[in-house]
Amino acid sequence: MTAQARTSVPAARGPMAEAWDIFRRSPAAMLGLLLLTLVVLMTFAGPFLYHVDPFEIVWAPLSPPGDDPTIPLGTDNLGRDILAGLIAGGRATLAVGFAAALITMVIGVVIGAYAGFYGGWVDDLLMRVTEFFQVLPPLLFAMVVVTLFQPTLMNVALAIGIVSWPQTARLTRAEFRRIRTLEYVSAMRAIGAGDGNIIWRVILPNALPPLIVSATLTIGMAILFEAGLSFLGLSDPNVMSWGLMIGSGREYLLDAWWVVTLPGVMIFLTVLGVSLVGDGLNDAFNPRLRER
Amino acid sequence: MKLTPIFSRRTLLGGVAALIVLACSSPLFAQEEPQRGGTLVMASTQKPRHLNAAVQSGIATAVPAAQIFATLLRYGEDFTPQPYLAESWEFSPDNKVLTLKLRQGATFHDGKPITSEDVIWSLNVVKDNHPFSSMLEPVEAFEAPDPQTVVIRMKTPHPAILLALSSALTPILPKHVFDDGQDIKSNPKNNLPVGSGPFKVTKFEPGQYIVLERYDGFFLEGKPYLDSIVIRQYQDANSAVLAMESGEAQLYPLLDSTRLIRRLEKAQGMGLTDKGYAGIGPINWLAFNTKNPALSDVRVRQAIGYAIDRNFVTKALHAGLSKPAIEPVVESSPFFTEDVARYDFDLDKAKALLTEAGYGDGGKKLELQIDYIPDIEEQQRAVAEYVKAALAKIGITVSVRASPDFPTWAQRISNYDFDMTMDQVFNWGDPVIGVNRTYLCSNIREGIIWSNTQQYCNENVDKLLNEAGVEADQARRKDLYAQAFKQITDDIPIHYINEVPYHTVYNQAVQNPPISIWGPMGPMDEVWLKQ
Repeated sequence: MTAQARTSVPAARGPMAEAWDIFRRSPAAMLGLLLLTLVVLMTFAGPFLYHVDPFEIVWAPLSPPGDDPTIPLGTDNLGRDILAGLIAGGRATLAVGFAAALITMVIGVVIGAYAGFYGGWVDDLLMRVTEFFQVLPPLLFAMVVVTLFQPTLMNVALAIGIVSWPQTARLTRAEFRRIRTLEYVSAMRAIGAGDGNIIWRVILPNALPPLIVSATLTIGMAILFEAGLSFLGLSDPNVMSWGLMIGSGREYLLDAWWVVTLPGVMIFLTVLGVSLVGDGLNDAFNPRLRER
Repeated sequence: MKLTPIFSRRTLLGGVAALIVLACSSPLFAQEEPQRGGTLVMASTQKPRHLNAAVQSGIATAVPAAQIFATLLRYGEDFTPQPYLAESWEFSPDNKVLTLKLRQGATFHDGKPITSEDVIWSLNVVKDNHPFSSMLEPVEAFEAPDPQTVVIRMKTPHPAILLALSSALTPILPKHVFDDGQDIKSNPKNNLPVGSGPFKVTKFEPGQYIVLERYDGFFLEGKPYLDSIVIRQYQDANSAVLAMESGEAQLYPLLDSTRLIRRLEKAQGMGLTDKGYAGIGPINWLAFNTKNPALSDVRVRQAIGYAIDRNFVTKALHAGLSKPAIEPVVESSPFFTEDVARYDFDLDKAKALLTEAGYGDGGKKLELQIDYIPDIEEQQRAVAEYVKAALAKIGITVSVRASPDFPTWAQRISNYDFDMTMDQVFNWGDPVIGVNRTYLCSNIREGIIWSNTQQYCNENVDKLLNEAGVEADQARRKDLYAQAFKQITDDIPIHYINEVPYHTVYNQAVQNPPISIWGPMGPMDEVWLKQ
């Protein structure tokens, strides 16, 4: 159906290229992208350049950075290499962030889409469920979930996803309510398209831009959440993550600043990067700002 | 003691020197005239449910209960019993009958006299209800031939009886108050009990504070020195230490965080001691589930023992403040012996044993899980993480399993749902009370924490431990325990890591801080505050 519409557009530039143009012109957004790229590079290329097991005890505990040239960032309270921990921890932390964002999107979009599209009692029911989850204090609720099950990386991601989907659901619902009254949706209905078709193939693609922005910000939030849970001792002790490093090092903050500060800085930079990229995407996708 | 020469010089040099001595050395003399009065605020992170130590074990209840209740005997800094409520005692020649003479004129906090009737009633309550059933298990009968005499008849000699009659283990309760037909374990009077000790409890807000006030009719003339003791409960060691630093509290026992101990060492006006914990005898250890297919092989357990470097734990993880532990009892126990299998760090031996058992290089892959008691950072979690790293070096993959809270951990361990676990277990003064429970075949009791959860069973060990329990001769008893400990360490159902570095912190105004074998679990009638 849209094939004909596409060929009739003469301009070679699609909406994505246009968005990229706007994104590119924002220094803040580009800085965010740079930060993210560096973090991803470090965590994925790092293990090939610096192979030290993050759980291995390599040196005296709590040696400061630079104490020994082979251990540039010092050691933690057990004598484990901080740099190796940062590299390995980045992978786990990013994985939790992305997994949690994915879970949030899946739950939030499905519930929001049905509520927004059908309205009526379906909307009422789904929104009451959403509100129920919304009024629970997120950190406490996540703690309960992680405590009930084992604190494994997957469960932590699941817990974060479960507590953060209501926002996405509400956003999706609002978009669906707006779009379902538009003429092209009525046109699809007129030619006999089924509900599923309209929801997933017509409305969803048009509702995506704000959802992508929201998903990006969710990644940042999930990383902070993971760090918060770890600080309370609720992280997977068998997978090195930045949160775990902070959680097990916090007791030593006064004696050895680097144990907690370095993973903390990494979390700060990553979340900053994610937020800047999210803001950039928001500007790029928001038509009202395009004339800037 | 070092200052004695100055004393002699004073007599020679006269007034000037005397002034200097008075000005600068007075706090160092132990034998100063005690001052009366004042309120001692004791910081605590322990939260007792009630205050009746006759039916409840554990430090939380024992610390206040030792102030509220007197016991028949008490201990000083060594394992020699001293008179307390009983002024004298003697064993029959066959060591099966112990006769104790009670002090004249002793009264409960309601003014009624403490008689032998109360004593035997209390001992029966302990025998029937206290979790440490082995304490009074060999007792056949408690008898009260006259109001000042108590006779304890035993089926066999039972040398642990003297220790069991001390401190907070067998408090003397007023029969006329507690014998009211209610179940003693849930009696509401356990919250504000009428006691027999140096202090009476006047307020108890669970989770907040306990107020103890001087009992003027206490049977030891002139004691206690303090007007009152307030036990204030803090959320964690950090806030308790802050309270000590700000002067809000003057005494804080049972501190085990080496980081905080090191910090307090530098603090002004603060004293620190590791004395007072010989009775508790706290050991931090790694326990094996001997029914695990891999861990049922003694060579695998020995390999793990050799792969763990106790020095790393005590020196690096615990800042040099904890002592290595090598056997079922702590070094300060009278039954400590050097002649045991120590498993000093030796990676080559560890690898060889593992290969012999069919694991390690070229053999089967070994994967194990380790648990630990939650919320005990340095002693438990950090050591569990170290064990993971240490065993990786001999090719054992260890995953650390976190428990969200103590009951979850206790449930897993006591139902044998574990491979290895870090644990902390107390000696409680005599092996019969605190050691046997971990090793006797008969104490493999599912669902009960701190029983023989390793499911270790060696009949020879059982025989030795049981013989030692009824051996009245101290030297022969010590020898039997030495044999038992040798066998146990050879079999290594438990790998001992370190003694918990409990310290007592006190403000310099606090004189005679509690350093008997029971430390804070002993009566504080001799503690006084210097104004």
